[in-house]
Amino acid sequence: MSTTELEARRVVLGFQDAEDLGPPDLPTQPVPLNMGPSHPAMHGTVRMVLEVQGERISSADIQIGYLHRCFEKESEHATWTQIFPYTDRLNYISPMLNNVGYAMAVEKLLGIDKALPERAQFIRVIVGEASRISDHLTCLGASAMELGAFTVFLYALKAREWLFELLEEVCGARLTSSYCRIGGVAYDLPDGFDAKLRDIIERTRVVLSDISKLVERNRIFRDRMDGIGIITKEDALAYGITGPVGRSTGLAYDVRKDHPYLVYDRFDFDVPVGSVGDNFDRFAVRVEEMYQSMRILDQALKMIPPGPVVVADPRISLPAKSETYNSIEAMIAHFKIIMDGIHVPPGEVYSFTEAGNGELGFYIVSDGTGRPWKCRVRPPCFAATAVLGKVLPGLFIADIVPTFGMINMIGGECDR
Amino acid sequence: MADSGPFKTVGSGPVKAPEPPPEMVTVVIDGKSHQFPKGTVLLEACNAVGADVPFFCYHAGLSSPAVCRQCLVDVKGQPKPVPSCYTPVADKMEVQTKSPRALDVRRQMLEFTLVNHPIDCPICDKAGECLLQKHYFDWDAKFARNDGIKVKKAKVVDIGPHIVLDQERCILCTRCIRVCDEVAQTHQLEMAQRGDREVLTTAPGHKLDNPYSLNTVDVCPVGALTAKDFRFQMRAWELYTMPSVCPGCATGCNIEVQHSRGQVYRLVPRINPAVNKHWMCDEGRFTYKRTQTERLVAPLSGGTPVEWDKALDDAGRALSAVIAATPNHVGVVFNAQSTNEDLYALARLAFDHLHIGKAYIAGQDQGWHDDILVSADKNPNTAGAMAIGAGRLRTLLDLSNDIKAGAVTALIVVGTRGVLGSGPAASALPLDRLRALIAIGTHRDGVINAAHVALPLTEWTEADGTFTNRLGMVQRVRAAVPPAGDSLPGWEILSHLARKLGATMDYQEAKAVFAEAKQKLPFMKEADWGRPMLPVQLRFANSRG
Repeated sequence: MSTTELEARRVVLGFQDAEDLGPPDLPTQPVPLNMGPSHPAMHGTVRMVLEVQGERISSADIQIGYLHRCFEKESEHATWTQIFPYTDRLNYISPMLNNVGYAMAVEKLLGIDKALPERAQFIRVIVGEASRISDHLTCLGASAMELGAFTVFLYALKAREWLFELLEEVCGARLTSSYCRIGGVAYDLPDGFDAKLRDIIERTRVVLSDISKLVERNRIFRDRMDGIGIITKEDALAYGITGPVGRSTGLAYDVRKDHPYLVYDRFDFDVPVGSVGDNFDRFAVRVEEMYQSMRILDQALKMIPPGPVVVADPRISLPAKSETYNSIEAMIAHFKIIMDGIHVPPGEVYSFTEAGNGELGFYIVSDGTGRPWKCRVRPPCFAATAVLGKVLPGLFIADIVPTFGMINMIGGECDR
Repeated sequence: MADSGPFKTVGSGPVKAPEPPPEMVTVVIDGKSHQFPKGTVLLEACNAVGADVPFFCYHAGLSSPAVCRQCLVDVKGQPKPVPSCYTPVADKMEVQTKSPRALDVRRQMLEFTLVNHPIDCPICDKAGECLLQKHYFDWDAKFARNDGIKVKKAKVVDIGPHIVLDQERCILCTRCIRVCDEVAQTHQLEMAQRGDREVLTTAPGHKLDNPYSLNTVDVCPVGALTAKDFRFQMRAWELYTMPSVCPGCATGCNIEVQHSRGQVYRLVPRINPAVNKHWMCDEGRFTYKRTQTERLVAPLSGGTPVEWDKALDDAGRALSAVIAATPNHVGVVFNAQSTNEDLYALARLAFDHLHIGKAYIAGQDQGWHDDILVSADKNPNTAGAMAIGAGRLRTLLDLSNDIKAGAVTALIVVGTRGVLGSGPAASALPLDRLRALIAIGTHRDGVINAAHVALPLTEWTEADGTFTNRLGMVQRVRAAVPPAGDSLPGWEILSHLARKLGATMDYQEAKAVFAEAKQKLPFMKEADWGRPMLPVQLRFANSRG
């Protein structure tokens, strides 16, 4: 990013003044600077080894892995169903989306991905989109706070709290949802869910509008977002960046639109796309995505049919407790699923969904036993974090905070 | 039972005359043509090519009565599905193992079997390795259509010294009857009554007490027959399994050591057609018990627990003193309970480094035997010990006389178990006359208590090695559980001891000792160490049966 380009963009926004041209280029020595792994702005523990010249970064080495929990190896020692709690801890601010992604991979391997009960598919969409909103709220709130807008953080977390409380009513937990099952979801939505969600959506719209009013014309905020941390479309493609970060560069790729899964092809929604690829675009894309998620939720609540929430095959889903306790057939089915695990036919599969940060992929190999032979995750924020090494040089040290915040690197997902 | 394939043992077993090549017939199974020797059972033929035909009453080691009707397949030209376990293959036979009709009749048979089956899985010891569970899950997977009252039968029948019978769980496959008839060669079990009141039972006043009775528990496809020893101790799917060899006698039955969290819970036979087929004796199954009680867990010097370094220093000093004064007064005791590796390391130390001429052989006393599996020699490695001793080993009576005569004043004993057996010579060993007694042993027994220095030795469940059985087959024993306390394998202790005595024996692992022994000892020439193995959790090994 050359200075002239920076200036050009700022002129467009009407913020040009003498101070903005930056400090005069004084002769400096390169200084190594260690940022993280335990730094308040390095969410989820990541380490950046920087080389700075004055305030300007000349090189950045992004070192991840501090939150490695052996998800993939642990998965090889757990039954297919026991892996759900591990997936909660991938992107831990939208665990429902991870649940859905993993369940769909196993269902594809089982060949039941087209045979899921409709209601289960709608429920997955609803809890997924609600999680996406909470994911983006957390990202935006935390980033704004790091730029000094503490009110925005409180507003965002207030709305997130409504969603978390609703999801807690659904699955019993705010974060450790483990709500999906192979073949559907664990239980139906609670009574009154519909009305509560509609109410939350309305209130969240107000919160979003408040947040926009607080920051979008705020000089301090815009100065640190506009034109900072620009990722080009070519880089996004080369690094495999998807999700809001990828879309901010103008790359109109959304798994929900391009490879529709569940019932996403039945909803009317738009994929917001940025033009510059800077921090502000990523902010704006996320805000707009939340409105789009609300659109999907509105439609889904109208369209959701009654019916079962999990496939009725006793080899895949647990029988009803009344059956289990009173017939040997259901007892055996229950026992085998819990102790041996679902028998997934041998084979390999790659299945991908649109998670909070982009394309969340599961590459799974089964050897026909009750546990995966290999369970590999393609974490969407891994690619976005990788590009930081290219984006940060040339920026100021202070620019790391909003840039890293808008990448939304989640340690649990990136390091697995 | 696991296939013996990967754990193959090689040795100079009984040499058979080459058989003429069998006559082959062509059978079409599920549309694919295959060649089989004439007389092959159709079920085995189908399963050999991966057709996966289920069964309850069939067992590879027993005759087939075709009572369970689970292995029904469609054969072209036959009006009804035929029991494949009872049908020999014939030329140009065309078989459909998964025709809708065959699948349907099998499912109906399963439904009948399940009608009276109690809802016992949570309290049943077989759960997790139950064939009924497996077949229901794989082949039926339909919910009950019948909510009638199940027929009540006796739940806890004390049928024998090692076994409890639950008649409700029995699916009447008669495998256990045939095990008694065909393996133990005694007819102790029988079916009584008819229809849904049919039960398995013994004759009035009689017990299931043959020496092979626990094989009935292994072959029982459900939890009708359960072992008192294993009952309610551990859930089967939590166990890890490791292939090994039974140390109970010179037969060397191939077994699996099933363990969890460092504790062995049961031994089950592993198929080896050349040694034990599918079976093992009841006595052998309990050999794991002694590995878990009264173990010597720390080195002792003068009866006091000490660090390994101090114990080895003391042992080296005591032996060196005798060697310096009277070099030919040192004796060593080989033990037929030790692995080839421990014995080889001892032979290297005693014969090659210390040039000791006085060597003795110890072991368990002789016991009962039969013509089925049990050998009178209760040591797993007599053949190996004798071969490694190469004619230099004398009896414990000689040792007793030598000590009394003052010809042996220092003694190294490896594997003390058996040295103080019940025989008259052994119990009369005047160990108190020795100036230095270095005992490397597993248990706190008389020899350890009399020893100047006692060093803790691993048991057969804790160390890698090989045993040579009575047929001369060198079979692999694998470490399944961690060593008790501070105990170490014999070859390692002897390496440390050798260094204290100024000899250079530097073995780092049992495999290296094995490799060297294999080079030097003719009887181990064809032996195979095998590949390293991780324990397999039964939960993920699929159901067994």
